[in-house]
Amino acid sequence: MSTGTESEVESELTQPASGADEAELEALLGDRAIAREEHLNAPGFVINPNDVQAVLSDLRDEAGYDHLSCVTAQQYEDRYESIYHLKKFADPTDELSIVVPTTTENPVSQSAEPVFRTADWHEREAYDLIGVEYEGHPDLRRILLPETWQGHPLSGDYDQEKPQLVTLTEHQNPIQPDHREADSDTMFLNIGPHHPATHGVLHVETVLDGETVADVEPDIGYLHRCEEQMCQSGTYRHQIMPYPDRWDYVSAGLLNEWAYARAIEDLADVEVPEYAQVIRTMGAELCRIASHMLALGTFALDVYGEFTATFMYTFRDREVIQDLLEDLTGQRMMFNYFRVGGVAWDLPEPREEFFAQARDFLDELPAKVAEYHDLITGNEIFQTRCIDTGVLEPDVAKSYGCTGPVVRGSGVDYDLRRDDPYGYYDQLDWDVITRDGCDNYARVLCRMEEVEESAKIIEQCLDLLEEWPEDERDVQANVPRTLKPDADTEIYRAVEGAKGELGIYIRSDGTDKPGRFKIRSPCFSNLQALAEMSEGEYIPDLIASLGSLDIVLGEVDR
Amino acid sequence: MNAATATPLQSDVLLPERLGDLTGLNEFGLAGELLSTLIGAVIVGSLILAMTAVAGPWAKRKITASFTDRISINQIGPAGIGIIIADAVRMLSKENIIPENADRPAYDLAPIVIVGSALLGFAVIPMGSGIQLADPEVGLAFAFAVAGIASIGLVMAGYASGNKYSLLGGLRAVAQNVAYEIPLVVTGMSVVLFAGSLQMSTIVDAQAEPLVDLGITAIPQWYALVNPFAFVLFLIANFAEVGRNPFDMPEAPAELVAGYQTEYSSVYFVLVYLGEFLHIFLGGAIISTIFLGGPDGPGPEALGIVWFTLKIWGVFFLTQWLRSAVPRVRIDQLIEIGWKGLLVLSFANLGLTAAIVGVIA
Repeated sequence: MSTGTESEVESELTQPASGADEAELEALLGDRAIAREEHLNAPGFVINPNDVQAVLSDLRDEAGYDHLSCVTAQQYEDRYESIYHLKKFADPTDELSIVVPTTTENPVSQSAEPVFRTADWHEREAYDLIGVEYEGHPDLRRILLPETWQGHPLSGDYDQEKPQLVTLTEHQNPIQPDHREADSDTMFLNIGPHHPATHGVLHVETVLDGETVADVEPDIGYLHRCEEQMCQSGTYRHQIMPYPDRWDYVSAGLLNEWAYARAIEDLADVEVPEYAQVIRTMGAELCRIASHMLALGTFALDVYGEFTATFMYTFRDREVIQDLLEDLTGQRMMFNYFRVGGVAWDLPEPREEFFAQARDFLDELPAKVAEYHDLITGNEIFQTRCIDTGVLEPDVAKSYGCTGPVVRGSGVDYDLRRDDPYGYYDQLDWDVITRDGCDNYARVLCRMEEVEESAKIIEQCLDLLEEWPEDERDVQANVPRTLKPDADTEIYRAVEGAKGELGIYIRSDGTDKPGRFKIRSPCFSNLQALAEMSEGEYIPDLIASLGSLDIVLGEVDR
Repeated sequence: MNAATATPLQSDVLLPERLGDLTGLNEFGLAGELLSTLIGAVIVGSLILAMTAVAGPWAKRKITASFTDRISINQIGPAGIGIIIADAVRMLSKENIIPENADRPAYDLAPIVIVGSALLGFAVIPMGSGIQLADPEVGLAFAFAVAGIASIGLVMAGYASGNKYSLLGGLRAVAQNVAYEIPLVVTGMSVVLFAGSLQMSTIVDAQAEPLVDLGITAIPQWYALVNPFAFVLFLIANFAEVGRNPFDMPEAPAELVAGYQTEYSSVYFVLVYLGEFLHIFLGGAIISTIFLGGPDGPGPEALGIVWFTLKIWGVFFLTQWLRSAVPRVRIDQLIEIGWKGLLVLSFANLGLTAAIVGVIA
């Protein structure tokens, strides 16, 4: 796939080049594949609900599908369905969908959790919102909605008009009451929902043995805003695009918008003009720098304390980017700048001024990064705090479906911008940063170096934009007023957001609104690994690990 | 002060006695002495409290702001100085929320212990210009002892709040204070070896001697210059002792919310907050006295209090600088630094100093 010529992409998608592989897969699955399905992004195999673990572990061990990117559940008229979107960390374009239908009367399916740890939360979410039950799941509770919620909001028979009447006693405080166990030396501690280190409204149920963390369980859902459902009730053409800005709301707006743009453009076969792709690439990388600056600043808050200068320094530098983005999009955070088939408008006039400002920023950036290295990563205390804490081994990270700087900090070379190219990335000269430390320090370094790589990308985009012939500056493709993709076309598409792989699954039902709209949030998957990273370490390490994951609760809870 | 030939005011006449003379209270015997001591204490206390009042709501914000690239308060009065009054009104008029599980009266006593212990320490500090309340022969030991009482206050606050964050903060405070009190005192001992006395005035006087005579001016024999190694050790141990960055474990904002002070509000919070600043200043005062020549400085003797205040504020400034620039160490690392590093170094320093003093003597 290259250069964003989407028709080529399309032809590749519908007829996967790897025909031989598919035969091998058929051989591997044998009788267990009861039917075939074709998704736009990947071939699909339909399997029995009882074969999930066997099939997924075979695919992982024999065929190399080691990345369970997402689990999508949905209800049809006659059945429930869970789709396991599989990929390879080595080659994310090699995708595979495992479709597991279950009957409406008895929506029970085998859990994939023993094979992929990441399935834990993904299946809990599917149970919570759709109502599919997963047999053998270690802890099948609601995850986004309160325990007392009646019904499953995205299932077919759910009555949205009906108020949720919950008695006071039922609606008990989710924060566990103080309790004492006679034979135990541990202490239970609620970190959050209101706590300075949770970066939003997150509740971490922690069991402490002295200062040592014995057990951690993040409790999420405080910021659940029905984003998937809202997207399902908006039209493809205009009404969905404003929502992605609100997932990872801190600075990554354009990156999120691109996730939806990429999915819908592949689904509706829209070709984006190259000029618009260059603007998108530049805008997205500006967002990435802003987001990484924020990540660095808040991580410093966690390690330094609340009065650290680093936080304000990163905000000072981020502010320059916010100004640039405001000039470009007209908004500081909720950009709503991408359109299906392009971007809303061209660069602001006078263009020279915009270029000059952007170049000024890029010129100053190396000195600023050097300052951060002086102030933060070069500091001995910072190093003793961060090196070898929050250790996340590559295999564990993969099993949890971690992506972005989190997995790259564990030495896994996985970046969708390079491995599954979109936009203008494959025409530009830049590198994917990986670090082998697997610890908090590696993740911080990874982000700081990615900032420099993003700057490289922006610089090249600026060069291109400056020299672009004036009569070829098409910012939008010709897209029909109403988009109605064929019924029952399914696609799962992901982009490299600031936090990792941000994926969108869309199933069209023949109308101008999605039949199912599923968001695969990188923060959601990354946060799952927190327990693995912090158990056995000290409280300050838990806080630092949480900071180094760089989660945004708006994206975790959606 | 280079030519310390003039009568050293601080060592001869103490503040209460001078007040007694001034007001004629000395003629009323013991009652008069008590009263003049009380007046002296009020003067010293007001001085120190006024300093914390400036430091807490105003200077701290301004200093942190300039480190962190901000403007901070600038609306009320010149440079926002009126915030002191506004903050005082705000703090005092808030409801004092006392948690249900609080263990009273420990919960109520803790802020008083924290503040009181720090204020007591100032009794023996020679602040220059003749301001010193008492000058016992065990002055330095007394200052260390009362400053150490604060950790009891922290534990009380931590455990009596009935909050787990407070409890963790309190536990950390004890571990930290035990670990750093020893190097602090041992390093302080090396100064005593030089001066040959625990009496604060003697230590100050000893430092007024010129170290190097440059003709026109002379570099005084401040122990920070004589033994910089001890000075650095003492400074580090002091930051840990008063719980400042990079050793702000007991509070650890972002980890323990606000540690031992999480549950304090209104007047109690003011006291706890005040106590923190008082301890920073007491630490600064001890450092100034035993390492920086106390009120020693150029100009007439009457300027002593100015020099002394400047030195305390220098230490305070340093704490704020560290707060903006230095990460917090972890509790186990802190204890490790204390027991394996500072303790050994402080004893090495003591041995070395003893040897040097012995050779010179």
